[in-house]
Amino acid sequence: MTAPAAAELRGITKRFGAVVACDGVDVALRRGEIHGILGENGAGKSTLMKVLIGLVLPDAGTIGIDGEACRIRDPAEAAERGIGMVHQHFSLVEPLTVWENVILGEPIRLDAAAARRRVQEISERYGLAIDPDERISDLSAGLRQRVEIIKCLRRDPAIVILDEPTSVLTPGESEQLFAVLRRVVETENKAVALVSHKLDEVLAATDRITIMRAGAVVDHRPTAEADAPGLARAMVGRPVSLRSEAAAVGFIEALSEEPAGAEGTAATQAAPAPVLSIRGATARGRDGRLLLDGLSLEVYPGEIVGVAGVEGNGQAPLSDLLSSLLPLDGGSVRVDDAAPAPGRPGAMAAAGVAVVPADRHESGCVLDMSVAENLTLVSPPRSRLGRAVIDRTARQERAEQLIAQFGIHTSGPDAPMWSLSGGNQQRVVLARELSGDPAVLVAAQPTRGLDVGAIEYISERLREAARDGVGVLLISTELEEVLDLADRIAVIFRGRIIGEMDRADVDVERLGLLMSGAQEEAS
Amino acid sequence: MVGDFFAAVGDVLSNEVTYSSGWRLAVALGFVAVGEWIAERAGTINVSVEGAMLGGAFAAGIGYDASGSVSVGLLVGAAVGLLVGAVQAHFSHNLTADQFVVGLTLNILVLGLASFLNSSLKPETATAHVFEVPGLVEIPLLGPALFGQPWPLYLLYPLVPLAWWLVYRTRWGLEVRAVGENPQAADVSSIDVNARRRQAVYIAGITSGLGGGYLLLGQVGWYEDSIVGGQGFIAIAAVIFGGWTLRGAMFGCLLFGSANSFRLSLPGVGHPLNSELLSSLPFVLTICVMALFAHRTREPQSLARPFIRGLR
Amino acid sequence: MTAVDAAAGTGDMRYDRAREGATVLGIYVASIAVALLVAALVLWATGGSWTTVLSALLDGSLRRPGRWGDTIGEAIPLLLVALGTIVNSKAGLVNIGQEGQLFVGAALATYVATHIGISGPFVLLLMMLAGVVGGAVWAGIASVLRYQRRIPEVLTTLLLVFVAAQAVGYGLKNTDLLLDPTPDTGNRNLISDQLDTATRLPRVSWFGNEFPVSAFVALVLAILVALALAWTVVGFRLQMLGQGPRTAHRAGVSESRYGGLALVVSGAFCGLAGAFMFAGGDFGNYRLTPGFPVNIGWEGLLVALVARSHPLVAIPAAFVFAALRTGSGFLAATGVDRDITRVVQALLVLALLVPPAVLFVRDRRRALAAARDRV
Repeated sequence: MTAPAAAELRGITKRFGAVVACDGVDVALRRGEIHGILGENGAGKSTLMKVLIGLVLPDAGTIGIDGEACRIRDPAEAAERGIGMVHQHFSLVEPLTVWENVILGEPIRLDAAAARRRVQEISERYGLAIDPDERISDLSAGLRQRVEIIKCLRRDPAIVILDEPTSVLTPGESEQLFAVLRRVVETENKAVALVSHKLDEVLAATDRITIMRAGAVVDHRPTAEADAPGLARAMVGRPVSLRSEAAAVGFIEALSEEPAGAEGTAATQAAPAPVLSIRGATARGRDGRLLLDGLSLEVYPGEIVGVAGVEGNGQAPLSDLLSSLLPLDGGSVRVDDAAPAPGRPGAMAAAGVAVVPADRHESGCVLDMSVAENLTLVSPPRSRLGRAVIDRTARQERAEQLIAQFGIHTSGPDAPMWSLSGGNQQRVVLARELSGDPAVLVAAQPTRGLDVGAIEYISERLREAARDGVGVLLISTELEEVLDLADRIAVIFRGRIIGEMDRADVDVERLGLLMSGAQEEAS
Repeated sequence: MVGDFFAAVGDVLSNEVTYSSGWRLAVALGFVAVGEWIAERAGTINVSVEGAMLGGAFAAGIGYDASGSVSVGLLVGAAVGLLVGAVQAHFSHNLTADQFVVGLTLNILVLGLASFLNSSLKPETATAHVFEVPGLVEIPLLGPALFGQPWPLYLLYPLVPLAWWLVYRTRWGLEVRAVGENPQAADVSSIDVNARRRQAVYIAGITSGLGGGYLLLGQVGWYEDSIVGGQGFIAIAAVIFGGWTLRGAMFGCLLFGSANSFRLSLPGVGHPLNSELLSSLPFVLTICVMALFAHRTREPQSLARPFIRGLR
Repeated sequence: MTAVDAAAGTGDMRYDRAREGATVLGIYVASIAVALLVAALVLWATGGSWTTVLSALLDGSLRRPGRWGDTIGEAIPLLLVALGTIVNSKAGLVNIGQEGQLFVGAALATYVATHIGISGPFVLLLMMLAGVVGGAVWAGIASVLRYQRRIPEVLTTLLLVFVAAQAVGYGLKNTDLLLDPTPDTGNRNLISDQLDTATRLPRVSWFGNEFPVSAFVALVLAILVALALAWTVVGFRLQMLGQGPRTAHRAGVSESRYGGLALVVSGAFCGLAGAFMFAGGDFGNYRLTPGFPVNIGWEGLLVALVARSHPLVAIPAAFVFAALRTGSGFLAATGVDRDITRVVQALLVLALLVPPAVLFVRDRRRALAAARDRV
């Protein structure tokens, strides 16, 4: 402990308007250690890391690299100081090859042969097998992350930052990743920062843990001295009692012991006919890639069906299908007695499928329109003057009513949608979708990026919808969320449902195996 | 009718002049297309090449008039092309104003400015001297076309491989391609997206200005407001026609340039043919090619989309 | 997640209207001042006088007797083109082929008028219809290619401008189509027959200012477009499509139907503008010629842009653009080439491009910072 830390952040403070993202945060990353930065969404951990790689300039605080104080103004400067980040999204250019992507942005002369050699060398050194001449567009999510890691390691950084690296990986791939990180730390004496909101993976993979809550460090300790309930308590700030909160912090063990709620199961048995039934849904993307591969799924009134799986296994296409955004090449969808044509605009909504989409800015709401307009997107109130004319008074009244009913924080129905916080935007979407008396409610990643209060609210609304007899389909990559809410769990893998189980019969280990497609390969 | 048509085609094709003039017209397009190709690979449909070409032509005239030197004229032309490109670049990739509106407005501006200044300055110009490449010019039919031309034409010959090398063999080119395909990824990889795009548009401006200068000093010989007459747009069409490959774009220029020369030489050999059809050929063909091969050609994924950090 | 280092707002962002207004005004004034300064520099460099030019412009557009009428006459097609452009840009489509759509509309109207063999108000109605159909069909080609073959409408509309010019040029060489068949007009080439006096648009005269009745049609259409966008379901859905295509699709807005409609309507407005130009008397003396559209299509697009896609703001914007056009006619007397007005016009447009772009980037950054899931 005598050597200076590889990176020492002291008193880092960053405000976004009135929100304090980081408030006097102290963290030290040491060589030879994997340092877990744990915290729920919005705790400030990503902002902290962005400060370290120069994407965000702090309002106050100092950064020391190897004991030397410095300022980091942009990512290039961070790279010079030996800080590298493995980006999750947006960092690879699809039509370019692996080696072109790896050297992209480096201030060197272009030398294809040398770049290929270097990629090969790194991939051998760390056990990250990859063909340097492959195009990114041909690679799977796991392989793409491999390219991201190679891209980061190519500059031989002293400090490697990973931000939520496992969200696109199967449990097996995650373990491989952690093994690589371990090698990086042990053989090369690098410092690794692992940013995550998943308690179990931080416990499993790190040497030291810093826990953040509401922009401040609330605790830090060696992993060996940490235990799950204590960490969960520190993350949330009070003993974890509500199940949804336990789910929000990724605390599976707290859930596995509890049995599922009884009312959902009862409803399942009482209802004779499914309210939503998808049969053999098959769809190809424009590039010919299989998005859905014979997916079959049924949802009964009054139950919550959770679709669990690793990101990129068909969740988005499934949600798109039920949003009328994806036409099918084969298979069918039935809602109650109707058979809406997949892909035809508005067909699913007309048949009674409400959707809270994962990409709410893209397909959930219109940011540049007012709250009132967003609350009445599908069927604006018509005037007595004629069906083509909108009754703006009625729209205003309806909006005010929904704003009150769903507790939406806004300056009024005329406020532009973009002026609302993420949680309130989600409430607007939920309010609109539920006010249309749907038969089916699809919620895709409904709590992503929301704070604990909003998560709890949304979860409660989903339960309430199910109690009212709506068939709820919850599509989530957060296993904990699925375990918390669902009565029945279906596992999605490579565009199909490869296993289903009742909540009561869930064996987390088997679920994990299914999510990695183990079942399919065995059969 | 049909017989007449083929007779006309036969007459034209057996005439050396057709090849010479076709090649000259194609080269004028080629100057513009080679820069426009780079700009489009970086994600800009640079409509202002028309204006840059016209500005280049007029400025080349002024430069020649003032100095008596074709080289100086061409340099001044390229500089004014760069100026037009710079305005386009800063409006569309700094302020992120709509690139088409900026381009079209710039075209109006340059046309207005050139004809306004022409009314008081009226540059005296002439064509550059013909340089015959010894030996090569003897090749039948094609020799005089390729190697017996006014010397500024030869500037395009090294320019094309240079552009290819720049885009595919340099770091700058790699970054240009990345920026045209996925600016967010390029941004995260610490590439200044809008700077690359601006630089690509500068290059388009320079080559277009040079193209304008060549048009005036290597081909026409005197300035008139209609000297460019939509050739910048034809060059854009050629780049799209060529499916965003350099080879395709150059083929497009050759095809459209030949069509144009065909149109011009038909009356000369005494066969009136529908010249409107040939004039609209570049545009009709480009639309047809896009319609037929829409699924096969790969345009830069971020073509004509502005990049604002923090905005997807 | 993306980096936003600009000042980010919070959920309950408040608007200070007065300050916001002052900022916007300030940016506009500054950029227009720069544009005028550049124009003055160009004038100064060529020895022209700024004050004589301004005075001539004002004389030509407003001050001399009857000039208001001429300016209104030029403003009519500019406004119509701008209205169409507003419709398509509300739907998120970029049409830059107004010049061609207008030309085809004018040509079709000419064809109908010169071939129907009768004259009178009924023919006038037919001509307007022909103009609408011509413009709509020309934009419809782009629309079909956009929704059947996924070709960006920006490219097709632009390329079709040149095809339109050649197509009409061909028509003007053939007596079967558009060329004036009268033998005694001598070696007249590339010009259509003159419109029969009975078929011309009536012109009204107010205080010595004469302009065609199409002015009222254009004004009514501007109000109708404004009302349709604000109060009707179709208008609402068009804007939904423009601002959030995926959301719109889910909510039942068919992209091809509404987007296609918007593009066709946009073309129809241009075509109508063309027909009015031909029948109104302010352009080409009731004859079609190869240069007939005289940049009205391009400038109408700029009017829409300057009006920031607001139909009612487009009315004064169109008038200002028209005033620059009519004013330029009086420049010849001052010895300054009339092309200076084109320079001024283009500089003004460039200047007017700056503030919305600056504000857009600022607003979107704020929006994203506010809407973004907090870091």
